[in-house]
Amino acid sequence: MATPQVGAGIGIANLPNQRHKIVAKRGANFTLMVCGESGLGKTTFINTLFTTTIKPPKNHKRRFNKSSEKTVEIEIIRAELEEKQFNVKLSVIDTPGFGDYTNNRDSWMPIIDFIDDQHESYMRQEQQPKRQDLIDMRVHCCLYFIRPTGHTLKPLDIEIMKRLGTRVNLIPVIAKADTMTPTDLHKFKRRILEVIAAQDIRCYSSPLESDDEATTQRNMSIMSAMPFSIIGSTEDVITPDGHTTKGRQYSWGVAEVENEDHCDFKKLRQLLIRTHMLDLIHSTEEFHYENYRNTQMETRKIGEARVKTWKEEEEALRKRFTEQVRLEENRFRSWEQQLIAERDRLNKDLEAEHSHIKALEAELEALQAGLSPRRR
Amino acid sequence: MAHRIGRRKNVKKGFQFTLMAVGASGLGRTTFINTLCDADVVPKRECDEPESAHVEEGIKIKPYTVELDEDGVKISLTVVDTPGFGDMIDNEYCFQEILGYLERQYDDILSEESRIKRNPRFRDNRVHALLYFITPTGHSLREIDIELMKRLSPRINVIPVIGKADTFTPVELADFKKRVMEDIEHHNIPIYNFPYDPEEDDEETVEENSELRSLLPFALIGCEEEITVNGRKVRGRQYPWGIVEVDNTQHCDFAKLRFALLSSHLQDLKEITHDYLYENYRTEKLSRSAESLPE
Repeated sequence: MATPQVGAGIGIANLPNQRHKIVAKRGANFTLMVCGESGLGKTTFINTLFTTTIKPPKNHKRRFNKSSEKTVEIEIIRAELEEKQFNVKLSVIDTPGFGDYTNNRDSWMPIIDFIDDQHESYMRQEQQPKRQDLIDMRVHCCLYFIRPTGHTLKPLDIEIMKRLGTRVNLIPVIAKADTMTPTDLHKFKRRILEVIAAQDIRCYSSPLESDDEATTQRNMSIMSAMPFSIIGSTEDVITPDGHTTKGRQYSWGVAEVENEDHCDFKKLRQLLIRTHMLDLIHSTEEFHYENYRNTQMETRKIGEARVKTWKEEEEALRKRFTEQVRLEENRFRSWEQQLIAERDRLNKDLEAEHSHIKALEAELEALQAGLSPRRR
Repeated sequence: MAHRIGRRKNVKKGFQFTLMAVGASGLGRTTFINTLCDADVVPKRECDEPESAHVEEGIKIKPYTVELDEDGVKISLTVVDTPGFGDMIDNEYCFQEILGYLERQYDDILSEESRIKRNPRFRDNRVHALLYFITPTGHSLREIDIELMKRLSPRINVIPVIGKADTFTPVELADFKKRVMEDIEHHNIPIYNFPYDPEEDDEETVEENSELRSLLPFALIGCEEEITVNGRKVRGRQYPWGIVEVDNTQHCDFAKLRFALLSSHLQDLKEITHDYLYENYRTEKLSRSAESLPE
């Protein structure tokens, strides 16, 4: 059956405009998580991205008042952004304490639990009779900040990224990229991608194809820059050619945030805000949330409470004990070797003394032998 | 200079000096060692297979010896590298490994001293200084930094340094240095701070030492390659926005630290190790074994 073509138009083409009006009025709700060790520029990045102080910089005067609890916290910062009368309710989730301690075993648990909890809470609310005013804090995107070591991903990075990738749109970024020369940065990016592939870490990949060539090209250029190298700064600097922009003033030059030769900030900002924000929101709702819902429903009835997966913890415990046993064994082995070396050395000394005594005894005998014939 | 007396007779024989470098990977420790010795002493880290990147290698302790010539003075420098420190998920064991190594060198000296017949060719492997590489977070000391410096300072001269200091703008660097020193004081960490006596020492020494003390923790940048700047060859890092020079004292404290370690304060570090740190260890150890003897 052929689809009837409408003549001059009855106004169906106006539907996107209606939709646009509804969306424009409703505004958007965007939840972004930043995760990584402290001191990697997460707060500065957020403030640079949204060109406003979403989160104030750390107050160092209070660092001696800290309690000695070694916890990873979840910090939620809310802001409302408005541009051309379009509102975005922004929630930024920070994870202070992650990776900061001597022992970071299981430090990813509060973060992973938080993400799961949001899915759980949304699911629960959906099942309520009244579901008009849902509170939706599902994380739409998680930026994981990698330390610019120049080597490769650390075991801690790998552990958490594996778990994040299956639950949320994970975008790895290289923090403080102005520490690295272009060649070092290129090598580092390549190595990170190799590890991500080898370790089966799932990162965010957006749909590349689109209707016009320009958009496809742009999408490809954005995604190929992953992991994104970033420089963050809320301060103004003056570039060599005289104009003012956000950047960092070194003794040897000025690193600019928006200069694409210096870092990938512009690309990341485009991805997060201009071009892919909707995709991030949708894929969270349609993919990650559905995933969670499926796995829960396979094992639970509606209304039943959630049982944590103990398998992961069991595995982690087993690994930890094997590791500890191995370390102890190594320590004992080297201790044993030391004792053996010490014993050998003392034995040698003892032997030396013995042979010395023997020599003296022989001398004594010889002397005595020399004396006795005279006595006869 | 007061501390150079007695140097003349050693100049021919040369000096022996052992230095240990500790810090998380990626802080420029290995590059620093090679830059210090102006040679490829420590091989570049071979990148591990991506498939095994999640495996936690323990800490390794690797000494390397190189012969240097400083203005005609021969120095036999041993640098002990400690790859793997702080790289694991649980780093509690790192401290004991390093401490164990340092104490074993003391034990060797102790048993050698107590021998009836001493070995004239015995090699003194005691470590005279430890450079601890602080991560340039921009905030303050991390738990592992405080823990390590506290645990090791009773056995070795600890000198804190900031690795990859080209992460900081001049203002950030000054703030960070100040906060680190505040932390060190707050936690009572006894680091090597170029001690001087304003009454006993001459003005030159006092000035020299207080200048070095004010630079703590030393901001380091390491680079093994040479690049050409304005026609001259320098050791430096080439960024799209400028060039950082390792030997430029405006850019970092590398040159000053090198001079202190290998010239002006070499003797002082050795003396403190022998007269104070080793003696303390010896007393503690011998009292312990005396106590454990049955009555």
